[in-house]
Amino acid sequence: MSEKAISQAEIDAVFPKVAQIVSDALGCDLEDVKPTASLIQDLDAESIDFLDLVFRLEKGFGVKIPRGKIVEDARGPLPESQFETKGIVTEAGMARLREFLSEVPADRFKTPMKAGDVPRLFTTETFCKVVIRAQRAA
Amino acid sequence: MSGRFRSFSFVDRITRLDRGGTGGRIEGHFAVPLGVHFPASLMAEAVGQLAAWSAMAQLDFAHRPVAGLASAVHYHQLPHPGCTLQLQADIERSDAEAVAYSGKVFVEGRLALELVDSVGPMLPMDEFDAPEAVRADFHTLLGAGAAPGRFGGVPLPELHDLQLQPGERLAAVLQVPEVSAAPFFEDHFPRRPVFPGTLLMEALSMLSLRLAQQSTPLTNAGPLVTQKVSQVKIRSFTAPGTRLELEVVLQDIDAQRARLKVAARSDDKTVATARIELTPRSNA
Repeated sequence: MSEKAISQAEIDAVFPKVAQIVSDALGCDLEDVKPTASLIQDLDAESIDFLDLVFRLEKGFGVKIPRGKIVEDARGPLPESQFETKGIVTEAGMARLREFLSEVPADRFKTPMKAGDVPRLFTTETFCKVVIRAQRAA
Repeated sequence: MSGRFRSFSFVDRITRLDRGGTGGRIEGHFAVPLGVHFPASLMAEAVGQLAAWSAMAQLDFAHRPVAGLASAVHYHQLPHPGCTLQLQADIERSDAEAVAYSGKVFVEGRLALELVDSVGPMLPMDEFDAPEAVRADFHTLLGAGAAPGRFGGVPLPELHDLQLQPGERLAAVLQVPEVSAAPFFEDHFPRRPVFPGTLLMEALSMLSLRLAQQSTPLTNAGPLVTQKVSQVKIRSFTAPGTRLELEVVLQDIDAQRARLKVAARSDDKTVATARIELTPRSNA
């Protein structure tokens, strides 16, 4: 079942608080936390920073973000075997990612993409959508 | 004698364990031996270990948590040799990825330490210790308890090349000991020696105290104590023998307190960061 589209207005509503939390969690300047900033590529986030960020978003927005949900949601209805082969994202998987991560600039979806590199696509706006989905699920 | 389950273990007995679900309370105690160096940060270590027992038991010892994040550690009282730490941890959430918890330490009925919003990433147990051995230790703690007095103290941090700029910053090199010089490595951890995050924080606290004590207006304030350590983030493991570059930087200072930003680096890579707040002992 596809989700109800997330509007730009919904993203704009949560962006200032998400950006502040990203800035606090990653220890970077708020002005660097742009909507399309890749947390790993542009803001040097490591796995401990993602853990920190998710916990801070949960507390800041009063939502639950289940562990592993972000990557699982990115894969969506595709079973893992159809999403990746030998660690590389399939064509079907890439199509799914482009659709789900619609906020990520198109030129960042480079092929071949390792499944392990999918988090490199995540931007501040990606996490705005994570929060909105969690708010809807509450 | 092996240091395992003795040289860096700070729970003697588990007296309460809420089972079922992924949250709940765990309580226990630890007797601080006489005549050993027991830095205050080890109270935070004790709470972390207590929470770890709950998380590990929930996953049948297939995973164990390691130090990761702590929103704040408030120090109210210093532990004294021979005292018993009453330990309490509230597990907010626990799964194969991480354990989130808060906790407290009481000494003689008074709050000594409060740990707020700590998160420990979970890693495969067999990388660190034998799951069956850890399970057996857990049952010992739930039963009669481990014999008190096993802990033999920790060496003082070996700090070199101090560069002091009063009122601004203090940098130093911390030489992490080799396994042969530090029994705590046998217990932290038996299969993979890792320099404990709480001992790293202790070294950063010591440097912070030294800088603040030599910075106006705290130069004549008498002894200072660590009141709070916050925004702790441990990014990577530190192996025995590592040369760590420590830096503490004053953010603000007045007659009541000093606030510092602290960091540890290895080969230009940040290993850990935190914020430390100090106050004159007379204020604490």
